[in-house]
Amino acid sequence: MNALIYLTWTSARNRFITAFRRVQSPRYAAALLVGGVYIWSLLFRSPNRGAAASFLLGRPSEALITLLMVLTLAGSWVFGADVTALAFTQAEVSMLFAAPLSRLQLVGLKLFRAQVAVLINALIWVFVLRRGGPYLPSPLRAFGLWIMFSTLNLHRLGAALVQSSWRQHGRVGVRKNRWSIAIFAAIGVLILEGLVINRDRLIHAGGIGEFFTNLSDILLSSPSVVGLWPFHLVVAPTFAKTIPDWERAILPAMLMLMLHSWWVLRTDAAFEDAAIEASAERARRIEAIRSRRAWGVPSKPRKASSTFRLSSAGHPAIAILWKNMLCLRRTVQLRLFVGPLAMAVAFGAAVSSAGGDVAAFISTSAVTFAGILLVFGSRLIRNDLRHDMLHLPLLKALPVSSGDIVMAEVASSALPMAAAQIAFVVIAYVAILMSTRSPFDPRMRDALLVSAPFAALSLNAALITIQNGMAVLFPAWMRLGTGVSTGVEALGQNVLGMVAHFFTLGIAMLVPLLVGWISASALHQSRPVTIAVATIVAAVLLSAETYAAIRFLGRALGRVEPLQA
Amino acid sequence: MISAANLTKLYGDFTAVRGISFHVSPGEILGLVGPNGAGKTTTLRCLAGIISPTSGKIAVGGHDMHDDPIEAKRALAFIPDEPHLFDYLSVEEHLRFIARLYGVPDVDRRLPEMLNELELSDKRQSLPGELSRGMRQKLAIACGLLHDPSALLLDEPLTGLDPAGIRRMRETIVARAERGTAVILSSHLLNLVEELCTKLLVLRQGACVAFGTMDEIIAAHPELAGLSLEDVFLSLTSEGMEGAGA
Repeated sequence: MNALIYLTWTSARNRFITAFRRVQSPRYAAALLVGGVYIWSLLFRSPNRGAAASFLLGRPSEALITLLMVLTLAGSWVFGADVTALAFTQAEVSMLFAAPLSRLQLVGLKLFRAQVAVLINALIWVFVLRRGGPYLPSPLRAFGLWIMFSTLNLHRLGAALVQSSWRQHGRVGVRKNRWSIAIFAAIGVLILEGLVINRDRLIHAGGIGEFFTNLSDILLSSPSVVGLWPFHLVVAPTFAKTIPDWERAILPAMLMLMLHSWWVLRTDAAFEDAAIEASAERARRIEAIRSRRAWGVPSKPRKASSTFRLSSAGHPAIAILWKNMLCLRRTVQLRLFVGPLAMAVAFGAAVSSAGGDVAAFISTSAVTFAGILLVFGSRLIRNDLRHDMLHLPLLKALPVSSGDIVMAEVASSALPMAAAQIAFVVIAYVAILMSTRSPFDPRMRDALLVSAPFAALSLNAALITIQNGMAVLFPAWMRLGTGVSTGVEALGQNVLGMVAHFFTLGIAMLVPLLVGWISASALHQSRPVTIAVATIVAAVLLSAETYAAIRFLGRALGRVEPLQA
Repeated sequence: MISAANLTKLYGDFTAVRGISFHVSPGEILGLVGPNGAGKTTTLRCLAGIISPTSGKIAVGGHDMHDDPIEAKRALAFIPDEPHLFDYLSVEEHLRFIARLYGVPDVDRRLPEMLNELELSDKRQSLPGELSRGMRQKLAIACGLLHDPSALLLDEPLTGLDPAGIRRMRETIVARAERGTAVILSSHLLNLVEELCTKLLVLRQGACVAFGTMDEIIAAHPELAGLSLEDVFLSLTSEGMEGAGA
């Protein structure tokens, strides 16, 4: 058997066997079940799937997806190709690149491997689209999707090879790839020309729906349609609504696929150098993604150019807090917060007359953002035991009690998260003072401001303690440090983890809320005072529970041995 | 200074260390040798308080590791074969972190000395990811030595060091012992063990097959007289050899 086919086959087989053995463990079996149910509910149980598929297969979607494809691929040419398209594993670099294999064989292996992802993508989309629009048999739709994804993959690989050639050969490389460059430049000019000519239709669109309808009309008319034509050929079989439509579309699409294959296989790039560089880049990205440092990845690790000093005198647990604060400062990626911020801004605009009342808009957005941080923040910032459990041998050798270690680790995530939320509440308070129509009377406003720090500190401490508790008590159920698991059972683990997380918080809050409300009601004060007192009492009680939990976790951490983690 | 009494560690049904006892006095260097899987690292991890023994007693500097782990750990340093470092602390920050944990009083004076001694001065702002394997090992060593431990546990400490680093590390171990530090050195480099160690503890399948000075071991096993340390080691750890501490 060909060595590369053997490698691919045995790797896949062993991966499957490993996954199968893992699923024999009850916890992975349960996680697999939950993950499977989750996927099933997404793919099969969605009541609006037919309507969604009809929308996805509509003509505007076709135009927009074609444009998206152009933008994605053009991005490779304008901003640089994703070099990880060429990446191999470190073991493959060591063994295959030193072996007597041709460049064509290595590129072929890369293409063959990519087919796994292509086929899975095609399969998922066949399920999503299978009841959409007029009848088209799923095998035909699947073949169309396969051609589309394969062509995209080939293009990505080709772009990476071409750009590698540029880097290796300088101007000679540019000359060799002049046709690729010229074709994309021409396509870009045609699409841009269409958009510029019809820009008034986009600028003066009445709403978001009209904007996209106009955009698709522009893209489907001359001159943009000429530029989009080769891409439209690739997507046409996927969007075909009848068998005759599909039959007309499939041959040109296959021709495009063959042209891409020919282009990739003949590109004279310094493949090996580029692939080794790409492999190192991919290893770094995997490391970053595994530790959830970023959705994207910074080009280079941040330098440790500045620090805040740590005195050598004082409680040693502060050193752990200091260490984690430095870690946070050097790893936090602001882009992580772009999504939540966008949601908060959208919500703020929606409830404040489309942003007409600027003060109300800022206030609502700030409070919404603080709320999102409260709910999801513990999953965005993980510089606590979820990161340090992989340094357990080092932690356990330190002359610090396990309880103090857990306390410092929890504080490392809870304090910055609470500080950020309090800051946004203060921003909201200041903004609402300037708003023409405040939703609260002044006393209620002040009561909320006073109680917010108590609520933020206690809730964040409780949430982070629960997360850290799961890391200490059920390390196999948590993604720790750089460890990452994939597959359906990992998805199930995440779902179960989320459920356990909020269930535990709910249980923990029951008594504090009850006692807080009863004690505040007993004072027979105004509503703002009652709310403030109830919040503060509940926060104090929740903090006491959290402290007890931290001490318990300290004893548990003392018993955990590195091999278990 | 470092003592273990009837130390046993089980992982489920597997016995990693079975009932070993020894004592290392200030100034002594104990060589911990044995084939792969003999229980050397498990023993060192028990001594460092990283894992708890299933049974037996450990004391470091007169502090029982079970009853008074903080003080016992304050007295020792464990330098593992694979340097465990925090990804986002620079070289200097690692040392300041250790200084706070162990309450090193004159860190501003000691820090440059330590960086110079281990040739890390130029790398003081570098993160571990920017260091070579040898540099990271040097940083782990610096972290271990910064607080002047009275007990030093070294697990293959020369791994990754360059020749100059190896020589300096040897000198450091000897100098520390001369200043009264009790040292336990686990290594497969028998020439290093022979050169530095005043006592040997030979492990096989978790059990002690020999303990004492070389002379004491030979006295307990006269058939080994005249053999090199390598031959003695191979004889003691071979399958047919049944032994006990000298």
